[in-house]
Amino acid sequence: MTEILLSVKNLKKYFPVKQGFLIKRTVAEIKAVDDVSFDIEKGKTFALVGESGCGKTTVARTVLKLTNPTEGQIFFENTDISKFGYSELLPFRRKMQIVFQDPMSSLNPRMTIGQIVTEPMIFHKVARTKQEAYDRAKSLMEMVGLKAFHLDRYPHQFSGGQRQRIAIARAIAIEPEFLILDEPTSSLDVSVQAQIINLFLDFQERFRFSYLFISHNLGLVRFISHTVGIMYLGKIVELGETDEVFEEPLHPYSMALLSATPIPDPKVERSRQRIILKGGVPSPISRPSGCFFNPRCPYKMEICEKVYPEFRKVSENRWVACHLVK
Amino acid sequence: MENILSVRNLSTYFYMDEGVVAAVDDVSFDLSPKEVLGIVGETGSGKSVTVKSIMRLIKHPGKIVSGQIIYKGQDIMRFDEKEMYRIRGKEISMVFQDPMTSLNPLYTIGDQLMETIIQHQKVSKEEAYKRAVEMLGMVQIPEPEKRMKSYPFEFSGGMRQRVVIAIALSCNPSILIADEPTTALDVTIQAQILDLMKDLQQRLGTAMIFITHDLGVIASMAHRIIVMYGGKQIEVGSSDDVFYNPAHPYTHMLLRSIPRIDRKIDRLEPIPGQPPRMIDIPKVCPFLPRCPRNVDECNQKIPDMIEISQGHFVRCFNPVGGGN
Repeated sequence: MTEILLSVKNLKKYFPVKQGFLIKRTVAEIKAVDDVSFDIEKGKTFALVGESGCGKTTVARTVLKLTNPTEGQIFFENTDISKFGYSELLPFRRKMQIVFQDPMSSLNPRMTIGQIVTEPMIFHKVARTKQEAYDRAKSLMEMVGLKAFHLDRYPHQFSGGQRQRIAIARAIAIEPEFLILDEPTSSLDVSVQAQIINLFLDFQERFRFSYLFISHNLGLVRFISHTVGIMYLGKIVELGETDEVFEEPLHPYSMALLSATPIPDPKVERSRQRIILKGGVPSPISRPSGCFFNPRCPYKMEICEKVYPEFRKVSENRWVACHLVK
Repeated sequence: MENILSVRNLSTYFYMDEGVVAAVDDVSFDLSPKEVLGIVGETGSGKSVTVKSIMRLIKHPGKIVSGQIIYKGQDIMRFDEKEMYRIRGKEISMVFQDPMTSLNPLYTIGDQLMETIIQHQKVSKEEAYKRAVEMLGMVQIPEPEKRMKSYPFEFSGGMRQRVVIAIALSCNPSILIADEPTTALDVTIQAQILDLMKDLQQRLGTAMIFITHDLGVIASMAHRIIVMYGGKQIEVGSSDDVFYNPAHPYTHMLLRSIPRIDRKIDRLEPIPGQPPRMIDIPKVCPFLPRCPRNVDECNQKIPDMIEISQGHFVRCFNPVGGGN
C-alpha cells in the first residue's frame, strides 16, 4: 500500500492584471496555475517540468502556502492546509522546506552559517538551547559535506556549490518530511551538479524524504524523479511514471520537449530526427482557445481549437490531456 | 586545407586587487573554413575570454599578455583599433548569450541591421534596406518587411536572438563566433535556434566557433571540440574522440557525471571538489586538486599538449586509457 504524503487537488492560482492610474481595475487574470492535481508518495520524488512561465514555481509556492491558492485543496498527511492561517500552519511548516535556485539570494549575507543553520531549529523548537542547536549544526555540516569550522564564516566566503550545501543543511535542520527543490542546481557548474543531486538521493534513502523537484533540465528529471508532470501554460498536460513518460511520451508537447533536448552523444545527435515546434509559448494572459498547445502542435485537429481536452487516465499510471490520445 | 584562423599561445590575464587571474593561459588552436569548432567548459574556464581576446574586446583590468591571432595569414593582434573595426562584424562577427543586451532598445531592428551593413559595405541606403529585409527572411522572421520597424522589446527572446544572428551574418563574415547563444532560451526555442544556425552554417559555409557549457548542445553542433578548464585547454579532438575516447581525467569524469534523457542511470559519478578559484593559481594542472589519477610529476609542472592520436590532443601526464 502506497502512502500519499502530499496530495494536490484542482489547485488554481490566478494573478490579477491591474490597469488604471488612481483607480486600479482588474482587467485580466493570469492563470498561472490552472486546475493542477497530483500526489506525492512518501519517500518518492515527483518532478514538475516545463519551460519558463509554465507555472511550476507558482505550484511550489502555493503548496508551501507562501502564497494563497485561488481555489483547490492541498492535503498534507490527509489534512487540507489550503485554508489554514499562520498559527494553524506552523506545525506543517516544520515538515516542509524548500531549497531555492540561487543560493546567493536565499542566504542572508549578514548572518554566519551557524546562525543560518540554527535559526530554524530554534524557531521551530527542534533544539531546546542554542548550544544544542549549534551541536546539531556541526553534524549537519558534515552530512552535507562541509566542515564544522565553516559555521563561523559568512555566505560570501563560499562557492556556489558550497552555498547550496548550506541551504540544504538549513532545510533539513528541522527534520522535515517534504522538500521542494526549485531548480536547485541550475546556478551550479555541471561538475558540481552531480554532487548536489547525489546528496539529495542519499538523504532520501536515509530519511525517506519526499521531494517535489522542479526543473527544466530533463536529464536531471529522468535521473532523480519517480513520477513526473509536464506543464504547459498553467496546466499539467501529461503525468506518469518518469521512465514511461520519457520512453513513450503521449502528449505532443512532451514529445517535442524531449525531442528538443540535446543528448550528450554526437552519434545519437547526428541520427536524431528533431520535432521543431513553430513559434514560442503564447502569453499566459491570452491563452489560445481550445487546447493551449494547438497553435504549435504538429498533430492539430479541428476539435483542438475549440475544446480543451480532458485530463484523462489513459493507462495504469498515465494521465494525458490530448484529443489524440485514445 | 588552409586554416582561416590560427590562435597561437594566447594568454589573457586580469590584474585584480586580489591578484592575477590567468583567465586564458597559453591557448592555441586552428579553425578550418566551414568548420564548427566547439569550446566547452564551466564558468570561469576561460572560453568567453578566449573569443573576446580574438575580437580584442578585453577591457581593463584585463590584458592580452601574449599570443598571435592569425586571420587569413595576417596577425590581427598587431592591428590598431581602427583596423579592428574592419574585422569586427565584417570578417569575424559575434553572437552573445543575451539578445536583450546586445540589441539597442532605442533603435528599431531595421536601423540596427542597416547600421551594420552600411558601416561595412559600400552600399546605398536602399540597398542596405533590401539586404536587411532579406537577412530577416533568412533567419525565418515572419513578415520581415513589417518587422523592420519593430523595437527589440516587441520580440520574444528567441526572435531577438534570430535578429542578432541576422545582424551577425549580414556582412557575410568568414567566421561567426557564438558565445552561449541559446543559454538564455527555453529548450523548444533553443532547438529552433540551433536548427537555424546549423542550417545557415551549412548553406553559407561560415566557419563557426561555438561556445557552450552544455555537453548536449556541443554534441549536436560541433565537428571538433576544445575542452577548457581553469583557463587552459586540456583536451582537443574531434567530437567523437572527445565523447567516446576522452583522454583527460576531467573530460572523462565530466561525461560520467551528467544524466541524459534517453537512459536510466542508477548513480551519477560526481567529480569531487570545487572548480579552481582562479586567483594566483600555482603553475600546475588546474585540475590537480580534484584529480584521482594524479602522479608525482603533476605537482611539478604543467603538462604539454600531446597528440595521442591523429588530431586528438590532451594536456595530462596520466591520460585515461594511457593515451589510447
